Amino acid sequence: MIDWAAFLAVATASLVSALTLVGLYSLGLRLLPSPDAPSRSRRLLSTACFVLCGIGVLFGIYLIVPALHQA
Amino acid sequence: MVALVIALALFFDFTNGFHDTANAMATPIATGALKPRTAVTIAAILNLVGAFLSTEVARTISGGLIREDDGIQITPELIFAGLIGAIVWNMITWLLGLPSSSSHALFGGLIGASVVGLGFGSIDGGVLLSKIVLPALLAPFIAAVVAFLATKLAYAVTRRAPEAQGGFRYGQIFTSSLVSLAHGTNDAQKTMGVITLTLIAAGFQTSGSGPAFWVIAICALAIALGTYMGGWRIIKTIGTGITDVTPVQGFSAEASTTAAILASSHLGFALSTTQVASGSVIGAGLGRDAKAVRWRVAGRIAIAWLITLPAAALMAALAAVIAHLGPIGIAIDACVGVGVIVMIFVRSRRTAVSKNNVTSHPVPVPVGIDETTEQKDTAR
Repeated sequence: MIDWAAFLAVATASLVSALTLVGLYSLGLRLLPSPDAPSRSRRLLSTACFVLCGIGVLFGIYLIVPALHQA
Repeated sequence: MVALVIALALFFDFTNGFHDTANAMATPIATGALKPRTAVTIAAILNLVGAFLSTEVARTISGGLIREDDGIQITPELIFAGLIGAIVWNMITWLLGLPSSSSHALFGGLIGASVVGLGFGSIDGGVLLSKIVLPALLAPFIAAVVAFLATKLAYAVTRRAPEAQGGFRYGQIFTSSLVSLAHGTNDAQKTMGVITLTLIAAGFQTSGSGPAFWVIAICALAIALGTYMGGWRIIKTIGTGITDVTPVQGFSAEASTTAAILASSHLGFALSTTQVASGSVIGAGLGRDAKAVRWRVAGRIAIAWLITLPAAALMAALAAVIAHLGPIGIAIDACVGVGVIVMIFVRSRRTAVSKNNVTSHPVPVPVGIDETTEQKDTAR
């Protein structure tokens, strides 16, 4: 009948990955220093968040393109 | 006959393209992250690229739904009837601006035609329930829950920096592009599968072989062209009909859609892109303000999901009955099909939705563009 284990796996994976991505991107925006109060540490943290998001997007592309992971 | 089926399959691919542009591009257009024309161009290019990327055997289109193994042979005539049902239903839902699943329309069409041609025994009811009906109920639910939580999270994190929330627009460009690319690798495959199935059924190709290069190429072009035409009606429904999407919601919804689609295609529980995308928008709406969700619109969409498969099946069954009359029947089918499509196009021009009025805040129309060109834009 229905494969509940697969369903749960998909639901959990979606939840975790979406929340991670959205959380990181939000944090990146939140930490972005405002022009009138420049802060090197905040800029660094903010950039780190965006870089992690970028890695997430690259991982997405890796998953989409079969040639990359079925070699 | 084979040429006719291929032509129809390509037309289906085209309707599939403009039906599903909305899944990826409705929210970036609604929030102004991308200009409407830019958005559909990106979607079209990524769909084109995506169609070439995936090399999986498109023959799995029937997915065991039609019991080919038991010696039951689907004929080009039945595929023809199935496609007519699927296309007509896609056109009707497009006219109503409803984001129904093109895959369900296709499966419904093939099921309806098979039942008429080969009897109820040709359909595997268990597979139908577990692969199509139940996922259709679960997909929007998962997507809505994920998008709801993601929206809550995004608002919570940026609550003290409201000026940062506009930054979600840039993120939307990436997430919606991922959805487009994933869509291209999935949906163009379905048409390739149908065409390959036809070529095999007609004896032009050996059983079990994959799609030929020219098949991949024309399917990729058809879906990209359809995507570029932009299903403005459906974009309007998802982008501004269900709820007025803010950049925060748009980003959260697209991230949830991407996550759910990628998870489903890699962990073996197939979910419909259309249903995931609509569910995400509803969830994102709830995450900001439950009162801002227009449940009447959401209800109409839910009804469309429920009846897509049976409706396409019914129309395909009717087409299959007529097709049984022989060549005359096929000709009648083709004429009626073309007639209905033309009628829907004509009807659609009365209430045109184009790139100029796709959001609730209409993009100003440059001086010199009169109403007729605007309408042509939609009717194409």
